[in-house]
Amino acid sequence: MSRRIAVVFALLVVIAVALGIYAWRLKRKVAREEQIAVQQAAAGAMASLASGPPTNVTLYVASDHDATLRKTQMNLVLPSERSERARALLRALFSAYLQTPSQHPIGADADVRDVYLLGDDTAVVDTNPAFADAHPSGVLAEELTIASIVATLNADDGRIQRVKILVNGHERETLAGHADLQRFYLVGNIGQVVKDLQ
Amino acid sequence: MLEGISLLRFDRKVLLWAATALALLLMFTVQLRWIPAHAQAPEPAPITVYSPQTSYSVSPLSVSGQTYIGLVELLEPLGSLEAKVDGKKYKLRFTPPGGKTEEAQFTEGKEKGKVRGENYKLPSDFVLQNGRGYVPLAVIPNLLIKLLSLPTEFRPAGRRLFVGVTPQRFTLELRQGNPSRLLVGFPSAVNPTIATGPGGVRLTFRREPVVAAGADKVGYDDPLIIGASFSEHDGIAELNISGTGPLMANFADGGKTIIVTGAPPPPPVVAEKPAAPAPQAPSNIPPAPPQQHQPAAPRFLVLIDPAHGGADTGAAITSSLPEKDVVLALARRVQHELGSRGIAAGLLRNSDIAISLDQRAVSANAARPALYIALHAANTGRGVHVFTEMLPAANTSPKSLLPWDTAQAAFLDLSGSVAGSVSAELEARKLPNTTLLAPLRPMNNIAAPAIAVEIAPPGDNVDQIAAAQYQEQVAQSIAAGIAAVRSKLPEVRP
Repeated sequence: MSRRIAVVFALLVVIAVALGIYAWRLKRKVAREEQIAVQQAAAGAMASLASGPPTNVTLYVASDHDATLRKTQMNLVLPSERSERARALLRALFSAYLQTPSQHPIGADADVRDVYLLGDDTAVVDTNPAFADAHPSGVLAEELTIASIVATLNADDGRIQRVKILVNGHERETLAGHADLQRFYLVGNIGQVVKDLQ
Repeated sequence: MLEGISLLRFDRKVLLWAATALALLLMFTVQLRWIPAHAQAPEPAPITVYSPQTSYSVSPLSVSGQTYIGLVELLEPLGSLEAKVDGKKYKLRFTPPGGKTEEAQFTEGKEKGKVRGENYKLPSDFVLQNGRGYVPLAVIPNLLIKLLSLPTEFRPAGRRLFVGVTPQRFTLELRQGNPSRLLVGFPSAVNPTIATGPGGVRLTFRREPVVAAGADKVGYDDPLIIGASFSEHDGIAELNISGTGPLMANFADGGKTIIVTGAPPPPPVVAEKPAAPAPQAPSNIPPAPPQQHQPAAPRFLVLIDPAHGGADTGAAITSSLPEKDVVLALARRVQHELGSRGIAAGLLRNSDIAISLDQRAVSANAARPALYIALHAANTGRGVHVFTEMLPAANTSPKSLLPWDTAQAAFLDLSGSVAGSVSAELEARKLPNTTLLAPLRPMNNIAAPAIAVEIAPPGDNVDQIAAAQYQEQVAQSIAAGIAAVRSKLPEVRP
């Protein structure tokens, strides 16, 4: 190989490596910005719905490492209407799980589309497809998510005694292969799990 | 350097062409690296392995037109196995029951390997995919002889592999009379699937190493039974007996003899009272898969359900270790441990097949087990999680008609006793464990005492979840826990 060709080849290799590093960094930056955007969107949605002084609320936050549900106090500005308030509360819970790093990661774009109240005691939580499609699979991992949703809703609104979880408006067989999403969750039953997980 | 820069200035076309060529070369290389070698090849039919301990199916892999077998899938049921990937190297430590530990090592893309410290040449390159090692099918009998020191015979036409077992050669004896009877004799008891049709009867052997003693086809000069033909294909053996009219088959001599004779005329249809109530499945449930794993009606049966299978891989424990594989290995260990304690145990799946949740429940309830155990694996938490179903306790009697969605509610007390006993055994072995309620499908549909066990890594090293020693300890705890409460559990319902 002549010296000229060697120089050209070396330059090309350097350019290719540099472009590869640039692309990798760009990908990470985009992923980070998307993550922040999701959290800001959730926070923004809460802010647009809410007004008034912040309220002290209790979130039951799951931790995969030690398989626990921890009671966490937060001050949030929440809407006064019950279903809007429940949705805002769950979005705050999801935001905690969507942080990086997370003690209990869930699907990257997981969100609560709506919370419907049936009668006085039943909440139907409609999540988006990303919540179930990208949820980590496992009996305990899925149970922690469900228990944290039900316990958090009941902690703020004691009248909620039954919770049903939908995905994109439809009933689904399981969350991610294990936990049943076809049933109504009773606060009484979840309460025992919450107690065992603390 | 200046000379190089001047070259760049004046030979832009050359530079452009060279850059394009390099980019195309890079893209081509990346594509080659990412495309799986078997992407376009159809999956070959499974191979059934018969060994002194068990019979099981292995799904081969087609790579570049050749049939390959996964070493872990093949060896795991035959003994204690540790497999490790180290870069392109694949290392195995295999210990057959009561035997000596043997080591083997292969390298991805190389024909040469080492078995028991000696050079070993494969007929084609060793394949490593998703952390699993595959060797050509042709080498399997020889490799097994080296690792197990047992005689091994492969019957390629039937895709059946006999490892350390003597094939059961059956005999045929026609006793002419009115009606004539064909006696099919076996060296030990068999349990084939029997299918009757207008012109004969077919015996299908999925788990027994049955082969013909003489010719594969026999003709008879008889007014009723006119012939018998034996064939092997896709890992099963079939004996077809042809007749001039409907035939039926009955077991005799403790399952060592099957008597084929003319079927009696059909009786008038009478309403049959169900033997025992069972939960009613929703009408849209597909039929249960063919059940070759359920032992024939023992009085006390533990049914083990290794979760997931097939395309449903379950949780990704690591990038190369799916939940479905971890739980199948654990299920086989639990079955072995229960057997060593004199408790009959069946597996709902004993190979990498997909079964829906409803199908699992239907099959489990049809088997009428004394206990159902679902096995799961995950990397959430530490140690072992033992679950019972999160349903409100019901006053319903287990003997009444049970609702499909809450069938388990009638058995929660007994399920809790089993979970507590298993947890105590885990504690005794100093294994971290938690006992919880869980909303788990299909446990809510099970009309028998039921628990689910999810294993997580014992410490920070996720790979430990598949370690033989850890799984052995968990399996022993489960089996000992069940044995301790056996007297409390009802035997199989009639």
